[in-house]
Amino acid sequence: MSGNDVQKVDERFVAGVGAYAPLLRLERSAASRALKFSGLGGRAGGRRAVAGWDEDALTMAVEAARSLTGAPRAVVFASTSAPFIERSHATLLVDALALDRETRTNDVSGSRRCAVSALLDALLGARETLVAAGEKRSAKPGSPQQLAFGDGGAAALASDRGAARLIGHASLSHDLVDIYASREHPDPYAAEERFVRETAVARVMVPTIEKACAMAGVGPSKIAFAAVHEPLAGCWRDMARAMGMTAPNLASDLTQSLGDLGAAHALFAFSIACAKAKPGDHILLAGFGSGCDALVLELIGAMPGANEAAAMFRSGVAFDDYVRFLSLTGELDLDWGVRSEFAQKAQATVLERYGRDMIGFVGGRDAKGNVQFPKSRVPVRPDADGLEPMQDVRLADETARIVSATADRLNFTPDPPFWFGLVQFDNGARVMMEFTDFDGKGFCVGDAVRMRLRIKSHDKRRGFRTYFWKAAPAQRPQIEG
Amino acid sequence: MANGIKDKVAVVGMGCTAFGERWDKGPDDLMVDAFEEALADAGLERAQIEAAWMGNALDDINVGNSALPLAHALRLKGIPVSRVENMCATGSEALRAASYAVASGAVDFALALGVEKLKDTGYGGLPLRTKGLANDLWMPYGSAPGAFAQLAGAYGARHGIASADLKRAMAHVSWKSHQNGALNPKAHLRKAVDMETILEAPMIADPLGLFDCCGVSDGAACAILTTPDIARGLGRANPVTVKAIQLCASHGWEMQYGAWDGSFVATTRQAAKRAYAEAGIGNPRADLSLVEAHDCFSITELVTMEDLGLADDGRAPFEILDGRFDRDGAQPCQIDGGLKCFGHPVGASGLRMAYEIYSQLLGRAGERQRARVDMGLIHNLGGAPFNSVAAVSILGRLR
Repeated sequence: MSGNDVQKVDERFVAGVGAYAPLLRLERSAASRALKFSGLGGRAGGRRAVAGWDEDALTMAVEAARSLTGAPRAVVFASTSAPFIERSHATLLVDALALDRETRTNDVSGSRRCAVSALLDALLGARETLVAAGEKRSAKPGSPQQLAFGDGGAAALASDRGAARLIGHASLSHDLVDIYASREHPDPYAAEERFVRETAVARVMVPTIEKACAMAGVGPSKIAFAAVHEPLAGCWRDMARAMGMTAPNLASDLTQSLGDLGAAHALFAFSIACAKAKPGDHILLAGFGSGCDALVLELIGAMPGANEAAAMFRSGVAFDDYVRFLSLTGELDLDWGVRSEFAQKAQATVLERYGRDMIGFVGGRDAKGNVQFPKSRVPVRPDADGLEPMQDVRLADETARIVSATADRLNFTPDPPFWFGLVQFDNGARVMMEFTDFDGKGFCVGDAVRMRLRIKSHDKRRGFRTYFWKAAPAQRPQIEG
Repeated sequence: MANGIKDKVAVVGMGCTAFGERWDKGPDDLMVDAFEEALADAGLERAQIEAAWMGNALDDINVGNSALPLAHALRLKGIPVSRVENMCATGSEALRAASYAVASGAVDFALALGVEKLKDTGYGGLPLRTKGLANDLWMPYGSAPGAFAQLAGAYGARHGIASADLKRAMAHVSWKSHQNGALNPKAHLRKAVDMETILEAPMIADPLGLFDCCGVSDGAACAILTTPDIARGLGRANPVTVKAIQLCASHGWEMQYGAWDGSFVATTRQAAKRAYAEAGIGNPRADLSLVEAHDCFSITELVTMEDLGLADDGRAPFEILDGRFDRDGAQPCQIDGGLKCFGHPVGASGLRMAYEIYSQLLGRAGERQRARVDMGLIHNLGGAPFNSVAAVSILGRLR
């Protein structure tokens, strides 16, 4: 075990948190009904979060990180389901958040523990570092993982000051092959559950957490809230009993309502714990996967982003269409007809010129103050009659309303209908945009919308995707249960 | 404003194929058929054509790049032949180019021909752009119905018209065009349809149902132009002349600048204003005998009536429901069936509209013939309401 060198931790803090869950939540009972003939499918209770067709690990990580303000000197992207093998998602994250291009970037992966590991590294380092995790893992229909997993994102900012102080930590490297995925076998392959449960609790989680508590000088019974990523649902009960811990594990609630969010899971639960805790409370954060990282933090003030994260947990739209779920997750390859055959190749030369403005949603303010997107050398302003310099203006966080809209049923989209229309930003810009997160009510003239980073084009033939922003309803409906 | 080309160009021959799903014809056949009709109408030899413009909007799927397909199909020997393209306003663009050539004195006889062979795509509707260029990084991949459907919500919001009332007026637009198309032997869709069928049709792009959308067709149309003096020499005592031909392209403000509310097509308004000035028209509601508007969708025709000044703002739905633009109304619109029922082979549509006005002016319109026709307007719209090219042309007799 490493981390047993009991030393005083330098004063380092978590300065902000963020969490993102996609709009849709599949009722697991619906999947269970559809699979009843086979006896497969795993747990039938609760819901799992389902990413839209235009969401992936990167977009959800970006959404989780958007609420974190500041100018981090380093950005880490964490995921086991990153869309690219050779292309830095952290670099895309820097562009999507319009951060300084000199920000250091790093992608981490390897196990679902990677985000917690990265956060601990950041807290043990010196830079202000943003850790953003996103996960959209595939799993075969009928496998327990298909319903146990969920899609989502979470983020945390490590800094020299902030609302939660790191007071103890421990790490353990342990190649427990509870579950794996590989290039040859991208879907998860799981070992026998009882073996995993007993080994992970007794040999990985409990000793690491106890070590972290000892370093912090906080007895297990003094932990107010836990954000402990369970190796399997129900493990927390065994762990808590073994350690004499009585704190509620918010990661368990998350599994029930959104599913196991992989690399984002523990950070998401930590965000909610920060919303529930009061100053002086101790929070246990632990990531699992090929070992364990455990952190004990003391809340010393209101955590920025925590309430928004908790609200994200409570909003969404439930659905019970298992076939739609299979289509959204790519497990069912529907024949969408000839209209879906159009090529969407993106040109690297074009991305080099315009890509940063696109993923950052950066327009321009002309010499007379009008804002437009995209930028142009001669402004669109009607009284402009020549070249004018343009100042960058980011539109991603601006409020806006719909000028015109339609549900296009002719155009191909993997999740019909295809909504799009003209959007007017309060700062004067207007953009023809795709709409997303259709919540059943439709989009109308005058509706308030907010911007969401999404996949714009998906070139399946060449395995490439581009990103742009889409207009989503400003408010999400509350979800019952 | 310069003097313009009013009465400087005469139309001495026109041709138009039957539009539709022409499984039997390739683009060469369509061009030849339209041209031979126009040539016979003009009483000319093909060697007398001194310059030609071919309008074709979607070269990647049908006719082919450049103007060579026209030169080859018609065997136009050694003359300048150019291809023009301005989306759905392509046919009018070809007419404009040929008109300017004659008006300038560069040639005595010029040919404008529009052609499109859309039904080789293998599906309904227009092909999708696939270039992977800068706009593809952000602009929605919306369909044409999706783009135009947005007029409806914005129009209703601006004028306080309930969606059900607007939908009924839109349905009347399509009902009327089906009535007219049934009388046109060259029309793609020749079946009258009742209002309930239109109103209850499957939705394509809210609130446009199936019958709110024009057909996608194969076809070709053309015009042979000369000077009025030469036309008289060919026996046309009162030749059909071009009274005006104006084009307006958006500079992008509708889509990028906040002043537009999405309920009208600004380029149509600007092109119409200039066309009326060029033609000397002070009151288009009285001076224009009939109108061929770019009714790609029912809502387009509805707002176009206001954009052309043929109805007050916010009143088009009521004028439509009152029958003003019906075949027997005060100012018929789409008396040949329009894009809705005559069909919409993109590059040919502007010249097809001119063909109907020309036929009406000469009393050749058969069952559709109006008793008195002095001047007719052609409105040809390319692009989408938020990013458009509008052409407005006016034809009349030289008295």
